[in-house]
Amino acid sequence: MPKLKIDGLEIEVERGTKVIEAAARLGIIIPRFCFHPGLGPVGACRVCAVKFEEGPVKGVQMSCMTDAQDGMVVSTTDEEAADFRKHVIEWLMMNHPHDCPVCDEGGHCLLQDLTVAGGHGIRRYLGKKRTYNDQYLGVFVQHEMNRCIQCWRCRRFYQEFAGYRDLGALQIAHHTYFGRATDGQLESPFSGNIIDICPTGVYTDKPSRFTGRRWDFERGPSLCIHCSLGCHIITSARYREMTRLEARFSESVNGYFICDRGRYGFYYTNHPERPRRARIRTEEVSLDQAIQTAAQKIIQINQKNGPKAIACLGSARSCVENQAMLIRFCRVQGWNEPTYFETPTMAKKVKRAVARLDEQLAVSMREIEKADFILAVGADPVNEAPMLALAMRQAFRNEATIVVIDPRPVFLPFEFEHLPVAPDDLEPCLTALIKGAVHRSAAEKMGEEALRFYDTAPAEYPDAPIKNRMVKITQKLRQSRYPVIICGTSIVRETTPDVAADSALLLRAARGRAGLFYLMSEANTFGAALLSSEEGSVMDVVESIEKGSVKGLMLVESDPFRSFPDYERLKQAVDKLDLFLVMDYLPSFAARLAHLFFPTQTLFEMETSFVNQEGRVQFATSAYRGGIPISQISAGGHPLRVFRRDIPGGESQPAWQILAKLANIISLPGREMFSLSKNELWSWIAKEYPIFANVPIADELPDDVRVHLAQGREKLFPSGGQIRSGGLSRENSTLELVMGDWTFGTEELSTYSKYLQQVEKEPCLFMSPKDASMLGLKDRERITLPLDKGRLEMELRIVDTMAPGVIVMPKHRQLAWQKIEKWPVKVAMGQIRK
Amino acid sequence: MYPQVIFQNRKPNRIATIDEYRQSGGYQALTMALQKYSPKEVQQAVVDANLQGRGGAGFPAGLKWKSVADDAPFPRYLITNIDEMEPGTFKDRIMAHADPHMIIEGTILAGYVVSAEKGIIFVRPSYESSALILEREIRIAQEAGYLGQNIMGSNFSFDLIVHRSGGRYICGEGTAQINAIMGMRAHPKQPPPRSTEKGLWDQPTVLNNIETLVNVPHIVRHGAEWFKGLAKTKASSGTKLYCVSGKVNRPGCYELPMGTPLREIIEEHAGGLLPGSEFKACLPGGASTCFLGKEDYDVEMDFEGLKKCRNRLGTGAVIVFDQKTCLVGATLNLIDFFVRESCGFCTPCREGLPFIRDLLWRIEHGEGEEEFIPILHRMCAHMWKSYCAFAPGASMPVTSLLDHFPEEVHEHISQKKCPFKS
Repeated sequence: MPKLKIDGLEIEVERGTKVIEAAARLGIIIPRFCFHPGLGPVGACRVCAVKFEEGPVKGVQMSCMTDAQDGMVVSTTDEEAADFRKHVIEWLMMNHPHDCPVCDEGGHCLLQDLTVAGGHGIRRYLGKKRTYNDQYLGVFVQHEMNRCIQCWRCRRFYQEFAGYRDLGALQIAHHTYFGRATDGQLESPFSGNIIDICPTGVYTDKPSRFTGRRWDFERGPSLCIHCSLGCHIITSARYREMTRLEARFSESVNGYFICDRGRYGFYYTNHPERPRRARIRTEEVSLDQAIQTAAQKIIQINQKNGPKAIACLGSARSCVENQAMLIRFCRVQGWNEPTYFETPTMAKKVKRAVARLDEQLAVSMREIEKADFILAVGADPVNEAPMLALAMRQAFRNEATIVVIDPRPVFLPFEFEHLPVAPDDLEPCLTALIKGAVHRSAAEKMGEEALRFYDTAPAEYPDAPIKNRMVKITQKLRQSRYPVIICGTSIVRETTPDVAADSALLLRAARGRAGLFYLMSEANTFGAALLSSEEGSVMDVVESIEKGSVKGLMLVESDPFRSFPDYERLKQAVDKLDLFLVMDYLPSFAARLAHLFFPTQTLFEMETSFVNQEGRVQFATSAYRGGIPISQISAGGHPLRVFRRDIPGGESQPAWQILAKLANIISLPGREMFSLSKNELWSWIAKEYPIFANVPIADELPDDVRVHLAQGREKLFPSGGQIRSGGLSRENSTLELVMGDWTFGTEELSTYSKYLQQVEKEPCLFMSPKDASMLGLKDRERITLPLDKGRLEMELRIVDTMAPGVIVMPKHRQLAWQKIEKWPVKVAMGQIRK
Repeated sequence: MYPQVIFQNRKPNRIATIDEYRQSGGYQALTMALQKYSPKEVQQAVVDANLQGRGGAGFPAGLKWKSVADDAPFPRYLITNIDEMEPGTFKDRIMAHADPHMIIEGTILAGYVVSAEKGIIFVRPSYESSALILEREIRIAQEAGYLGQNIMGSNFSFDLIVHRSGGRYICGEGTAQINAIMGMRAHPKQPPPRSTEKGLWDQPTVLNNIETLVNVPHIVRHGAEWFKGLAKTKASSGTKLYCVSGKVNRPGCYELPMGTPLREIIEEHAGGLLPGSEFKACLPGGASTCFLGKEDYDVEMDFEGLKKCRNRLGTGAVIVFDQKTCLVGATLNLIDFFVRESCGFCTPCREGLPFIRDLLWRIEHGEGEEEFIPILHRMCAHMWKSYCAFAPGASMPVTSLLDHFPEEVHEHISQKKCPFKS
């Protein structure tokens, strides 16, 4: 490892480390504009010049472009280097508008810092300043080109790192311009990152514009909960209002960046209609009063109908604490355990995925970047979990082969092989690829079960065009040194998570190394699957209500009206209830129907934790104390000068604390009393679920704690002999309905964001050209789709990147798709009409 | 009259045909190479001939070819650079209009040496006529069997196309040119990797100036010693196309032995200075070289000779200024060009050159201050720390103006006007 000396301090670094990074490890921060650790060096701004006094490189050179080498003696304070850096800053400031007082970057601006640090104070340039026209870049990003210092970071992120082309460099020389060919909403779902990485105020956060200086905000580390990946974020809050999110660096999860759904999805927490008071029917009451009333009702039902007459639904967007307390609550009361999943199929899929993910196979997003072959099954990353697409793109940039087996019209910002097959064909298509690349002897070495799996799995995919493409893909897979399987859990069959895990085991046996990455539907789906011991689903609860065995229903941060496939049936069931109790922070449909409502705190108001799809237990600190945003009660005037002890609208409490209080009232004498201490709750979790025993709940925010179910307990290769090549004998007269996601417009919390609502696409139904021509339908025609409980009207989109024999309908906030009796949905072809 | 090698078929009014080129020995080198010589042997001949790159840097062509590793992957590319945009330089255009097949044969031979399968002739947009000529003559060469699959029964296959540039000075820089061909911004790219390892489409790529390549057939046919003997000086070899412009009687492009003294070029070949004019200075090799004053009038015009007087041969484009020309104004004109043509990638070039231009403009227009001079010196020195050789080249006329003609600059400042303007 090279050893070098910087400003008299010696340091040893790994080969390939740049001098600028080596210096940073010594605490010497060499100025930089173009260099960004996530994007790498490029040598454009020239402000990181240092003097190389001894060693293989001599003279003033860029520290970002020079690898640390043995024997280097580097001076960052050398007169010539410092003078050059000062000149670079002077040149950059020639045309800068000096509009810091009205610039949102002011106060955390790299250009401001380095201008002061570099000692450039007196303007020597006598000429006129160059000016530019700014562009409208959409609802997220404010453009102010005059501030630009042409560091190229935005263009490098947008085009090279993220793979989108609509923002880039135009013009040359001192007219170099960063923007779009014409005004318009940025197309990339990662566009907000250019705000974070811009070293000055060219791109600023539009929704939070002019809301405060960096030091005005309460800022803290938190987590993104708008998909299952759990990216790390920094919150900013002011005047009892969440104002802005930025990416927080995470070594294992998201690196330096986040997606726009994560960045602009948080507005549910400030939502003007957010319920902030407890209610009995429509009457607002104090939280204590509501708890007392609820306790009485619960005791009545329990006495009359027994402990099993009240069912509880939790949700996968709720934190570990809420999920755990709800389970503990039910166990102490002798109730049935709470349910976290809409349908039994979903429960089973998620539980299987969680059971099969072990320490050796599980890979993080950052490890995906290092894979040389990625095989995604039933996953649509840009729409389901955008940051995964960004990680896959980094693998692509490192020359990985990427294959997606999915019936939906999957788009990714890079070249990949898409095998659009029907949902029933996902498994045979996957195993055909694996068998093509893994020799039978590898399975043989793994034992009888593996061999049975190998021998009984379909070896060939019968559809000729796809089969031909698979030949080339298997060749690549045979050469892979690090293949990773990504498996979705939304559209796949119940057995697919097992087949994916078994495939990964075979690949590991054959290639020496392999990874497995499950995608789940929500931020804490993994936690819910770990904690809940039953495989019950909302479907079972609805049936019990219909049968009359369940009289009361308690929802904890759950809105089944959004996700349950049959709205009418659910509504009728809820109408039958004697007690309908809802705890939430969203102005959800369920909240409106509640007999008793309790306002809970959002992630930003409490200390909390989530388990991402990789089994990573992650912690978030509270951003602020909650309450109604001052802007909402002062009508834009000067902040009110009203003095009171409480926080207006600050009655919300963590759902788990409300549950604890409720439990302590209804519990019979002699039963366990619940504490309101988070540590006490965590010691209960650790006791009941030993895999959580090693999770530290200290103040620090660990990035590397994963919980996986014990090794060797699970039966491997359970799907041996079960993989059908069934879908291949497809009925021609029906189309299977496959549900999809939109990046914006599907995920529950972010659909409450007024900014994301502006960038949603219109709801539509996707169909393959083959099926469309059989039906005589044209692209962009309005059509009606018959479902079990009525028809749905929407626009038809004909795309050739999807499987024939299926129709794809992304769930959309504006689409009342909940008219389905049971999965899978087959639609008779003739029934789809204009 | 010196022997004419590159211009041997140059006609006053038309382009040499393939037959005329063949009559003069054209395509014999290719035939010999494909039948008798291995690529390595051709390469060695060019190394022995000390063929220095004519694009400006003078890097030996044979060594550049050698840097393509024997086991480098395929396909490999060869690019012929006709993005001639150095002010005062027009030799490439004349070559394309004089004897296009010499360019084609030189390119094929270079392709043979590095086992390239595709050649690309990169032509600047203002040279549309050159592009059309080359396209037409490439077709003729194809029909004659000098291009395509298994050329003349050998196992060497080579295709050649003309690529029209979007047009920018920086496209003449090799790595920027490669980016431009790929449809990307014409930004230079520092090694590693070198273009000969990973260039066009990440494949091994060799890029040569056309004047370099036209010499290759002659070296193959006549040998390295003959080629060395063409030059006037020991350190150099071959002939050079000198483009003379400015205040001379016969501006034009002259093929002369490498190392011909400047005085001889100007006074004999270019017909001396205009009546009433005296030699004050010249730029010896295009805009990115230093002003050369009377004291160096006898310099031998080759890479070594100009290095000795701390200047550069560049493209060999001699721009002559007389005693009535304001050199501050001339420098301002050059800097205007460089400011406009900067690719905009790195700070010193993009922002520093406009600063320098502003100061020069003020001096030329009577708004100059003595304190500008140390600023100019400092900034020009800092230009050498920019990303590529563009900004250092741009600073050379300014630095040499300040060094060789300080009185003229001071006069502008003290008189608060340009002394050459009434």
